[in-house]
Amino acid sequence: MAQFRANRLDLGCFINKFVIRDHTKRKVFTEYETERQALRYIIRNTTLPQRMRASAQLKLSQMHCYTRPTQIHNRCLMGGKGRGVFRDFRMARYQFRVNALEGNIPGVKKASW
Amino acid sequence: MAVPRSRILDLMRAQCRIFNTTFNPTGQRQGGKVLRQRLRGPAIVDYYPPRVRVVQELKRAYPTWEFEDEEEDDRLESIKMRKQRGKGAPKKRTAAESKQLTKRRPKN
Repeated sequence: MAQFRANRLDLGCFINKFVIRDHTKRKVFTEYETERQALRYIIRNTTLPQRMRASAQLKLSQMHCYTRPTQIHNRCLMGGKGRGVFRDFRMARYQFRVNALEGNIPGVKKASW
Repeated sequence: MAVPRSRILDLMRAQCRIFNTTFNPTGQRQGGKVLRQRLRGPAIVDYYPPRVRVVQELKRAYPTWEFEDEEEDDRLESIKMRKQRGKGAPKKRTAAESKQLTKRRPKN
């Protein structure tokens, strides 16, 4: 969403609209995380009045979708791809292969026996 | 030997007071689980590497010093060359001129 997006480009990796969107979601999630946790605490606490918990539920469900952690999806740093991304290398499978064969990733070697 | 329930509750209460925990003998859900969770934000937000612009950041950090920015120099030089060949950007019009040019023709 445009209201959350940074005015200046602040990414140093491959960039397309999906990467910018995901980065924005990450920042928004971080900003609102404490608020979400507070609401979640109120909802989970059964000793609090029912009315308070219901209003907290409503508030949490009405928060912007960019504040949800489930919206965040790891993308490839080299090509912006969203599928087949290795968490450890932050790279999609093909980029991982290319870079590993070139020797750009420390500690990765093609298996041969 | 059976210990009465009330005595055990007293013991638990004392235990909670000493160790500064919540007295919750019925085991109700009080949401402490959520409060104990660590914040995930700082780890999540650093996934993509930040943009690093060495010369600009140095200039901002030390405004009195001078740093050579090769890319910027190249850009300015190419603009100079283009202007010499008459390929530069058009001159900015004044407000009155642009109004005159964009004036619509009256309808019949």
